[in-house]
Amino acid sequence: MQQVCIGDYGIVHICYVSPPAVAGIFPQDPALRMGSSLTATCTVSPERGLHANTMYWTMNGKRLPSSTYDLLSPNCLSVTLHHLNGSQQQSGDNLVCHSGDGHVLAGSCLYVGMPPEKPVNLTCWSRNTKDLSCKWTPGGRGETFIKTKYTLKYKLRWYGRERECEDYSTGQHYTCYIPRDLALFTPYEIWVEASNQLGTATSDVITLDILDVVTTDPPDNVHVSRVGELEDQLTVHWGSPPALKDFLFQAKYQIRYRLEDSTEWKVVDDVGNQTSCRLAGLRAGTVYFVQVRCNPVGIYGSRKAGIWSDWSHPSAASTPHSERLQSGSCEPKPGEQNSTLRRELKQFFGWVRKHAYGCSGMSIKLYDQWRVWLQKSHKTRNQVDKTDSNCYGIVVPSAGRLS
Amino acid sequence: MSGHVKNMCPQLTISQAARTLLSLLLVAAIDSVSAGVVCRKQPCGSSLQRSLKLTKLIHKESVDLLKTYKLSQGDMSELFCQMSINNVPDPNISGLDPSERMLSIYSHCKAFLPHLKRVTEQQTDLQPPSCSLLSKLSTAHNRTNGLANQINCIYQTLFPNLPIPPEPVDGPTSVPPSQNVFQQKVYGCVVLKRFKAFLSRVTRELRTLKSQVCTRRITFADTNALF
Repeated sequence: MQQVCIGDYGIVHICYVSPPAVAGIFPQDPALRMGSSLTATCTVSPERGLHANTMYWTMNGKRLPSSTYDLLSPNCLSVTLHHLNGSQQQSGDNLVCHSGDGHVLAGSCLYVGMPPEKPVNLTCWSRNTKDLSCKWTPGGRGETFIKTKYTLKYKLRWYGRERECEDYSTGQHYTCYIPRDLALFTPYEIWVEASNQLGTATSDVITLDILDVVTTDPPDNVHVSRVGELEDQLTVHWGSPPALKDFLFQAKYQIRYRLEDSTEWKVVDDVGNQTSCRLAGLRAGTVYFVQVRCNPVGIYGSRKAGIWSDWSHPSAASTPHSERLQSGSCEPKPGEQNSTLRRELKQFFGWVRKHAYGCSGMSIKLYDQWRVWLQKSHKTRNQVDKTDSNCYGIVVPSAGRLS
Repeated sequence: MSGHVKNMCPQLTISQAARTLLSLLLVAAIDSVSAGVVCRKQPCGSSLQRSLKLTKLIHKESVDLLKTYKLSQGDMSELFCQMSINNVPDPNISGLDPSERMLSIYSHCKAFLPHLKRVTEQQTDLQPPSCSLLSKLSTAHNRTNGLANQINCIYQTLFPNLPIPPEPVDGPTSVPPSQNVFQQKVYGCVVLKRFKAFLSRVTRELRTLKSQVCTRRITFADTNALF
């Protein structure tokens, strides 16, 4: 049973006339907005023989100053908290009323937070038209400080009842998985509802046909191998994902590759629907990592592209070492001082290795030819340039023999 | 069906002879069942040793479980654990002779199970799904259930003429009615604290029982063998 008490400044408080047990706190487990204020009362049973002026309050283990207390009656003490911060744990902040010797008389858990903001960036994709996965981002800063539930809902656009996604356990936050029973050639409306004790928010509705957001598995059996003794080429073969056969997909592929000790990938676009490709213009005697991914197109006759798959596991291979190097090293001797001249010499020797056969025909004339070449074709000095690294069929300038 | 989906249900072909053997084994197993538990008669020492190991494992995990629980409830939770609450099983093992004490272990294991389950349900509402507390609570429940079954079997083996009382459905250790959040936090802490203390006692008790009961049986068997 509760009794209304009037405290300082005419503020109305609720004290228990008959506390449920030894003592009771009002309110119990309230949900409050950040920055708001709260006045709570602790009423102790008269049988305890305690006077309220011996009691004190703690919040999350920290004693609250007595200046925030108000003695409402011999067995009822209130505390007023202003500018509440967000809850420190999802289970709620512990507001506890103690007797003078420290014993816990009663407690109440406060849930201080914010209502959710509208979820954003809702995107969905289907793996081989069989299922639908969706992900979104919480609105605002994404931190509400209290338990917030996100529910993904969907329905067929022109008919059908609203349904809820049930599987949120994909291991990533803000994702949901619909495993089956999806209609094709019919648009779905999909949205996310966020709710907590302080409010709700709904994302924008997206409309999609499952067939518009199809992805597939990455290609398997990606093999990278040398092309005979060609020192600047590698060939890549892969298998098409089995699902393509089942769903009348065609496919287009994309390749990316990088040097072993580099983080920069080079991408080969428009490989088309072939399942092999030759990389050219590579560096001799170098290890390359290669990955392939697939995009299903031509779904049930459509020309529309789908969503790129994940990249395949990296495969690696090395280009053969250059034979010209074996005719004598043109490397500057170690211990030489770094200088502009040394740098230039290094570039010259590199060009000689590539375009001549060994350093046996070294002459000032060769040096002049290099200078001319330097001015004419600046780009060909970069051996991993994209224009030189298309799949087989694009002509790479060949090195002539110079004397 | 997409090629990357695996069939998780293996297809099993059983020959007629194997079916007959399986049926006989099932009948033999059912014959030894008491209170829905299938027991295989095993040497006294190894059964108790196995239960002792399991108890030590659950006890070790209960230390971490209680610590994780307290961290999840926010500050001040040590005081919560010291509050008195009715109907939570006490950690003490009762009885004068080995059969009574073993029965007490079994009864206490069974008594803790609904409380562990209730704490799990409550914390599922209070904690984020990724909280490790939830899986630890579930593990504690499952392992305690396993321990209860083991103790049951050992008891039946050692004391075949002493019946096990039916499990209490609504006894003095039944779970409390709905509670507010603060009460839930306190309740959970008291349950886990007593659970930890109980397991510590069970560890000591099983060591004692092993030396008392299994030694006595060996001595009796040796004596019989003389005749």
